Amino acid sequence: MLAEQIINGVVLGSMYALIAQGYTLVFGVLNKLNFAHGEIFMLGGFICVASIALGASLPIAILVTAIIAGLLGLVVEFIGFRKFQSPDAHLTAALSSFAIGLVIIDLSQKIWGAESVAVTLPGTLQTAAVSIGGLRIVVLRLAILVISLLLMLALYVVVTRSSLGRRIRAVAESPTKAALFGINVTRINQQVFFVASMMAGLAGLALALRTGYASSDVGFTFGLKALAIMAIGGMGDLRGALIGGLLIGVLEALAFHWGLGQLADVFVWLLMIVILLMRPSGLFGTLISKEVRA
Amino acid sequence: MIQDYIVFVGVNIVLAWSVYVILLAGSLSFANGGFMAIGAYVSGVLTVKFGFPLVIAALISGIAAGLIGVLAGFPALRTRGIYLMLVTVGIAVSVKAVIESIDYVGGIQGFGGMVGTTPWHVVGLVGLVGGGLALLSRSPLQRILDAVREDELSAASLGINPIYVKLTCFGVGAFLAAVAGSFYAHYLIHVSPDQVLSVFIVLYAVLGGTNNMWGPPIGAAIMTLTPEFVRGLEAWRPTAFGVVILCLLLIRPDGLLAFRIATTRTKAVAGSKPKQST
Repeated sequence: MLAEQIINGVVLGSMYALIAQGYTLVFGVLNKLNFAHGEIFMLGGFICVASIALGASLPIAILVTAIIAGLLGLVVEFIGFRKFQSPDAHLTAALSSFAIGLVIIDLSQKIWGAESVAVTLPGTLQTAAVSIGGLRIVVLRLAILVISLLLMLALYVVVTRSSLGRRIRAVAESPTKAALFGINVTRINQQVFFVASMMAGLAGLALALRTGYASSDVGFTFGLKALAIMAIGGMGDLRGALIGGLLIGVLEALAFHWGLGQLADVFVWLLMIVILLMRPSGLFGTLISKEVRA
Repeated sequence: MIQDYIVFVGVNIVLAWSVYVILLAGSLSFANGGFMAIGAYVSGVLTVKFGFPLVIAALISGIAAGLIGVLAGFPALRTRGIYLMLVTVGIAVSVKAVIESIDYVGGIQGFGGMVGTTPWHVVGLVGLVGGGLALLSRSPLQRILDAVREDELSAASLGINPIYVKLTCFGVGAFLAAVAGSFYAHYLIHVSPDQVLSVFIVLYAVLGGTNNMWGPPIGAAIMTLTPEFVRGLEAWRPTAFGVVILCLLLIRPDGLLAFRIATTRTKAVAGSKPKQST
């Protein structure tokens, strides 16, 4: 029983980590908080609902969700961040992305209603289970876990090994210097936003499939928690976001196991405040961005 | 009806000022809705269950919220500015979760029985806070705040303790939000966690512009009254105000958060080029 809870926690944590990677990527490169990120995650679930309702099969729905979420990321970058790139514009950027988030929530409630919408997949995909060593594990959850881990591994390899990653890290280090070396900073920002939002959209799709419905308030509850997880793991650090996400997922599952579920939200934010007090740079050092300016 | 308008506009004006006070030292707070909820619930419990008079209960709840704000803000401020924003989001979420899980104050159903706010309370509060801010804007303290907001490092080199200044502003902002929240609750009679936890408060403050103390009340009044008089706007409130804020931010790239008055005054005195801050 406890082992099953821990596995559920790891699956939950992998979704947290997927969102937190997006926060941390944007924060690492632009040094700004993207408050619209959680709402793109929320929309991921609804795009999946809509595309399945239009008759798309699951792989197509996944593809559509990834692309639309990524494109929305470009919109957020254009409206909310393009004009506010100076190092001390972080208040303006936070405010504009927050406003975008409000608009996204309100519009999605206008389209799909304020209640949650059920997602039904054909066949037994949502309930099929395997048992490994006496543990019954739903295949879908296992798939979510594996796919999220693969996505994060791919992102990590791209950022640390590829030439695109080198350009991203250069922009994170100093946009001015990167521009002097001939890097198109705007293009890099767009790519970062596309990838971050794509991952958020896929996380939203995973959550909708796992719980069986898409709801318009997950951006504010689930998505915002990933922001705290990012700070716990270390702002701007991809590994930190992964480990922080898994850690919080497991702790939260254990809290539910012991009947403390209601206070799990509070616990995450309190943990963040405590970690800021003890280790301001989070549990891990920074990978992308060295300097975190005020 | 006119009573409703006075109370709601007044409460929102004080809430907008509570964000403005924190912004004066250069931090953006998403937590004021949480502080407002703390004020509403703490003072509600004090008046309903313990029979305290309203004004005393409002003051106690304000002090409680201020202390919570200072305690939570301290670790963030010790490090770097952007972390305070994260902590404020955390406070807002935690306050809601905590209130919902305490059965003593009704959980998700909300808490009722608070009465006693008259429009005069609210008018008096607006007058007091407005008077205080007007005095502040002419005092040396305003220049200390300007210094911390514009450049923490050089402020520190002049012997100002930026952490102390920011934390004080955060505490005062929390206090104001809680007092406004307690008057609001005692007018509505019944409050629920969702109702008192408004995400719009930040927008109230910045819509009118934070150049000086008169911007936030104008923004709060516009945002409170327009939906009452324009049919159909109430349903589209988040979208409408989100789009308006975005347009204003995009049309004036220096931002609604540029402190024009303060910087022009510096220019007149020092003859230096004003530095835009956002």
